[in-house]
Amino acid sequence: MSDLQRQHPAAALANAFDIVRSNFITILVLIFIGGGGQQANFTLYWILGTFIVLLIWGLISWYRFEFRVQDGELQIEQGVVIHKKLYLTSDRIQVIDISAGVVQRLFGLVAVEVKTAGSSSKEAKINAITREKAEQLKRLLRKENKSENAEASEGLKQSQVYTLNTGDLLVAASTSGRLGVALSVVGALFSQIEQIISEEQMISFVENHLPNTTSTTMVLLSIAAVIVVSWVFAFLGTIVKYYDFVVEVRENELLIARGLFERTQLTIPFNRIQAVQIKEELLRQPLGYASLVIESAGYGEEQANSTTLFPLISKHRIYEFINEVIPEYHADISETTRASQRGLRRYLLRMVWVSLPVILTIWGTVTYGVYAWFLLIPALVLGYQQYRDAQISKGDDTIILTSRLLSKTTAIIKKYRTQACEIRENPFQTRLQLSNFTVHVASGNQGRSFTVRELAKEDSSTYLNWLANGNSTSILSDDKVEEKEEKEFPPSQKQ
Amino acid sequence: MSKSAIKAWRLSLSIVALFLILILLIVWTVNFLSGSGLFSMWTAVALLVIIAIASGLGIVFIPEVRWRRWSYEVDEHEIDLQSGIFIITRTLVPIKRVQHVDTRQGPILRSYNLADVTVSTAATTHRIPALKQETADRVRNQISKFARLAEEDV
Repeated sequence: MSDLQRQHPAAALANAFDIVRSNFITILVLIFIGGGGQQANFTLYWILGTFIVLLIWGLISWYRFEFRVQDGELQIEQGVVIHKKLYLTSDRIQVIDISAGVVQRLFGLVAVEVKTAGSSSKEAKINAITREKAEQLKRLLRKENKSENAEASEGLKQSQVYTLNTGDLLVAASTSGRLGVALSVVGALFSQIEQIISEEQMISFVENHLPNTTSTTMVLLSIAAVIVVSWVFAFLGTIVKYYDFVVEVRENELLIARGLFERTQLTIPFNRIQAVQIKEELLRQPLGYASLVIESAGYGEEQANSTTLFPLISKHRIYEFINEVIPEYHADISETTRASQRGLRRYLLRMVWVSLPVILTIWGTVTYGVYAWFLLIPALVLGYQQYRDAQISKGDDTIILTSRLLSKTTAIIKKYRTQACEIRENPFQTRLQLSNFTVHVASGNQGRSFTVRELAKEDSSTYLNWLANGNSTSILSDDKVEEKEEKEFPPSQKQ
Repeated sequence: MSKSAIKAWRLSLSIVALFLILILLIVWTVNFLSGSGLFSMWTAVALLVIIAIASGLGIVFIPEVRWRRWSYEVDEHEIDLQSGIFIITRTLVPIKRVQHVDTRQGPILRSYNLADVTVSTAATTHRIPALKQETADRVRNQISKFARLAEEDV
């Protein structure tokens, strides 16, 4: 693989599709504006023309794209107008992502995406090569990184595989947290219906088909309709995303594969994991289920900057699973501190402030808006639950922060992975001797922070000092960890 | 923290306030010329007075309080920052996590011979504002030295 080589020619098509996909909304808008009215033919030509131009562009970019692996370095030369050379050292490569979209599947190919901390992934994406070549590429890049013995023993050692069975997938899909997102989208669409169907049409439709309804039942019916439709969307979306979910535990990395139409496969080396989150969603918690999310440096799916390690797992299995898959994050807790009792009323008050504007708006605008005041009850219950759940605990070199916004989140963080920690207090909290405790970890490009609110002030100071002091001593005693650590710093730091 | 930080902050706040007033005047002029009566002269004057009073108070008090509340400490294990006018924040950054340190100064800070020190980790960025130029340089060099030491220790 030391010679410069091109991708499979199908890359031209894949490139074109990539452009279409990333500009999908723009294109839709253009088509709608350009093709308003009778010129349907014109629109057709326009689309065809665009596609041909894109295809030519894809061809040129395929021709200009060359890559090779030399001395453990992935070298990519590309660019239609501006010629770019990209050199990636295998030490710095965080994740090698092999996926197959629709185009790739047509030709029996895969796309390889190489991600480092801080690089924009678009540039180091090889859009279409055969699977053998992809595996070869991955081996070459990983070998340099991990030294030979790891590679050799990998073949011998049987790797453990965890899969999500169909029942669990269905449960995951039906209790998906995406329901909220889908709800708002469908709700927004629903409110636009008026523009498409005029009010008279709607009224006559209702009179013809549902003659005996009052306006209350109408309101309830439409709310129910919105909920059902969005639930179906959330259900399907989750199934498409997590279909055939497989986690494979290897010597020093995790391999996660998922997806129905587009198979995504990603590998995360253990030493890149920055924190682990246990998320107990509102709908899943009563059923005793939770999901596991990994924060890893320099890599995240979509904007969330975190990767789902396992979408659904029953609560009593979860620590066992962590122990088997990521034993580093299985910690014995030696001390637990709950949010201070003085903080309870701040939790409750906050929920009142949050829900009050919503209630007032509904009260003021909707006919039966008075009932909106009943929203206050679940809000207060939620506030109380937030207070109950808020806690912080520590074990040897691990700190665990638990808090709830809607779903309960437990973040397990290694002491030596914390980037900074912070205590905040506003004047009201000062009066009550309370403070909020925040830990920052690296994740994706921005990092991520976890906060526990309303801890007693002396508790948060204790934890702050513990985190800060332990940081230097525990590192000294554990040099194996340090080896991994050092790879994360840019070389200029070490001079 | 250098005492002249207060002056520098006052100056920059004044510029912001002037800018706000300028925007208000422009909006009002445009409104006046286009002849729509939505935005009467009295509203403009009232807004002007409010902005003037608020920024006057802000310019006098905020920099002073901010200066008094800011403290920082750097040793070989961590950087300890404390700040906040209403919301008090204390931040600890382990030296090991420091990715890079810079000093930076804008035209206002430069005219008072001040500079900000910025400390970046993989996840966060922290600023120690308005130190004397020499202090800033010293702090920057010290942090980078400690960071290097922490690295070589193991």
